[in-house]
Amino acid sequence: MSNAITEIQDTKCLLVFGYNAADSHPVVARHINKARANGAKVIVVDPRKIESARVADQWLALKNGSNMAVVNALANVLITENLVDQNFINNYTEGFEEFKAVVEKYTPESVEKITGLKAEDVRMAARTYAAAPNAMILWGMGVTQYGQATDVVRGLAALALMTGNFGKRGAGCGPVRGQNNVQGTCDMGMLPDVYPGYQKVTDDAAREKFEKHWGVKLSPDEGYKITDLGHKVKDGSCRAYYIFGEDPAQTEADLAHLRKTLQAMELVIVQDIFMTQTAEMADVIFPATSWGEHEGVYSSADRGFQRFSKAVTPPPGVKTDWEIFCLMSQAMGYPMSYENTKEIWDEIRELCPLYAGATYEKMEGLKSVQWPCPTEDHPGTSFLFEGNTFSTPSGKGQFIAAEWRAPMELPDGDYPLVLSTVREVGHYSCRSMTGNCSALQTLADEPGYIQMHPSDCEKYGVKDQQLVWISSRRGKVISRISANERVNKDVVYMTYQWWIGACNELTIEHVDPVSATPEYKYCAVKVEGIEDQAWAENYVQTEYSNLKSKLRTAARG
Amino acid sequence: MKKITTVCPYCGTGCKMNLVVENDKVISAEPAMGRTNEGNLCLKGYYGWDFLNDTNLLTPRLKSPMIRREKGGKLENVSWDEAISFASEKLKRIKAENGPDAIMTTGSARGPGNEANFVMQKFARAAIGTNNVDHCARV
Repeated sequence: MSNAITEIQDTKCLLVFGYNAADSHPVVARHINKARANGAKVIVVDPRKIESARVADQWLALKNGSNMAVVNALANVLITENLVDQNFINNYTEGFEEFKAVVEKYTPESVEKITGLKAEDVRMAARTYAAAPNAMILWGMGVTQYGQATDVVRGLAALALMTGNFGKRGAGCGPVRGQNNVQGTCDMGMLPDVYPGYQKVTDDAAREKFEKHWGVKLSPDEGYKITDLGHKVKDGSCRAYYIFGEDPAQTEADLAHLRKTLQAMELVIVQDIFMTQTAEMADVIFPATSWGEHEGVYSSADRGFQRFSKAVTPPPGVKTDWEIFCLMSQAMGYPMSYENTKEIWDEIRELCPLYAGATYEKMEGLKSVQWPCPTEDHPGTSFLFEGNTFSTPSGKGQFIAAEWRAPMELPDGDYPLVLSTVREVGHYSCRSMTGNCSALQTLADEPGYIQMHPSDCEKYGVKDQQLVWISSRRGKVISRISANERVNKDVVYMTYQWWIGACNELTIEHVDPVSATPEYKYCAVKVEGIEDQAWAENYVQTEYSNLKSKLRTAARG
Repeated sequence: MKKITTVCPYCGTGCKMNLVVENDKVISAEPAMGRTNEGNLCLKGYYGWDFLNDTNLLTPRLKSPMIRREKGGKLENVSWDEAISFASEKLKRIKAENGPDAIMTTGSARGPGNEANFVMQKFARAAIGTNNVDHCARV
C-alpha cells in the first residue's frame, strides 16, 4: 500500500474497489467507517452489497468480470470532463497521451452493457473522486484474482495519477494484502525475480552483492512461478517441491490438476505445523514451531515491520523453521547457521537498503517501522512517493492503459451460473489454524455455503439451508445454500476453506499474464438440488469424518 | 500469569495483541494499542489462538519428522537426522542429474515470519542454486 492503513481516516474520498474489508480485514473496515464519520465520501464498487456498501455514499454494483471497463470509463470521465490535475500530469508522469488514446472510446454510455452500470452513476463517482482534495483507492482480491488483474491495478493507479493523488497524506492506492505476512514474504524475496528488498536477480550489481555476502555463485536466471509448476512437472523439468507453511491441495485453483502434479513429483517436502491435505501427500514432513512458539518480524499490508513473540513452549520434537533450513543447507554442502532471529534480521538489514534502519530495538513492544527506512535515525515512511518521485527508472509515474477482456469461461446452457470465491470473517486461509479453534469452529463448519440470490434459488428449485451439488467442467462438490439478497443474480459465491465443499475443485487455472494469479473470481458452474436431504446430510458427515480420520492416521506415522 | 505482546497471525492488518499465558498455556487474547488496531481486535484475534493447545478439532499437530520411503508407501516417524539425510540426499541427486532448476520451493505468508522466509530463499538460492522461489501471493 502506498499509505499507512491509519491514513484512511484522513482521506476525503475512498474508492473501495473489489475489496470486502468487513470480512477480510475487520479492523481496516473500522478505519473505513471512521473515514466516513470524518466526512469522507465513500464509493464502493462491488457486485455484492458488502458491509462497506451499506455505509457508502454510492454503491456501484458492477457485473462480475467488468473491472477494466469500469476503470476505463472512470478515466474517460475524468479526462473528458476535464477533472484531471494537468500540472501533476505534466510534471510527474509519462505516457498520458497514449493512455488517453485507449480510454477515449470507453464512455460510460458505451460500456453500460458490459458493466451493468448506468452511465450517469459512473460519471457521478468520477466527479466525487476528482472533487476530493485527497483521495485513496483500496482494492482487494476482487481486482487481483482475475485473468485481467495487473491491467486493472495499473488502471486504478492511473486514476490516482491523473488526479494528483499520490505523495501526500491520505492520498494514494492500496492493495490490502490478505494473509498476515504476504507483504513480508514479498519483502523477503520469496519471488522468482527478486532478492530480499526487491533487488533484481538479473541485475549484475545486486547479484554480485549477494554473492559476495553469501560466498557463493548465484543463478542469474529468473526462477519459475508457482503457477508454472503444472507444466514444468509434466514436461519433466521439475522433479522436487519443497513446500513451506502452505496447503496448496486446498488453496490452489483446480485442485484435481494440482493433486496430479504433486503425485507426479519424485520428492515433495512439506514443512508445516498441521497434518494438512498437502502434508498427507508428502514424501518428507518437517514439523515446525507455530506462531506463539517462536519469534520474529511480520510485515503488515502497509509495509509495517512489527515484532511478534514467543508465548509458550513448543511441543518436543519440532524445530523452528529457520533451524530446519540451516540443517538442510548444511546437509546440502552449504553451511549456514544463526544464533537467533535477530542475527538473521541484521543480515537482512545489511543486504537491503530499504530496511537498513529498521532495527529490532525500534520495533520493541508496540512499535512499528514502515519501510523504506534507510538509516537508523530514519523514522520510517507512512506514505510513499513524497515529492512525487516514483519508483520507476525515470522517477515519473507511468500511465499504462489496457482494453477490457472478458473472463475466460463464460456461463452457457450447461453451466449457467458464475462462481466467485470469497472470504468469511470467522475462518482463515486453508483453515488448519482456525478450524482447530473451538469458538471459530462452532460458528461455521462443513460443507460451508453457496451464497445465492433468492430469485435464483427459486429458478433452480433449491431452498435456503438445503444441501446441493455444485459442479464445473473440472469437479463437483456438495455444499449448502445460503439464500442471500445481498448477492447479485446469476452469480454464486463460496468461501474457499472447506474440505468437503471445496470450491477450488471447481475453479479454473486461467492466470493473469503478468501476476500469474488464477481467475478465482470467475468460472461457470451449475447447481443441482438433492432430493434426499437426509442422505445428503449423512454423506457430508461421513465424508468429513473419513477425511479427518485419514489425516489422523497419517499423523500417527 | 504473564502477558506476551505479539502480532495477530491472521490477515495483513497487523493488529498488536497480548497473549495471556498461565502454566505455559495461552488462556486468552486481548487487544493492545498497536499503530493500526488502536486497542481493537476482530473475532479471529480474540478467539484464534487455541489451536496452540492441540485441540485436534480438525487435524492433528505434526510432532515428529516423517518420511515415505517409497511412493505409495506409508508415512513413518523418523529421527531428525534420518529425515534431513533422506531429503537432502534426494535433492542432491536431483540437482546432480537435472540441475538446480529441477527443484521448486515456496515460502510461507503465514506464521513463520520474515526471518524464516529469508533463510528459506537463501537456502534455495545459495545451497540449491535456483531462483525457483515463490509463494502464495499470487494465489
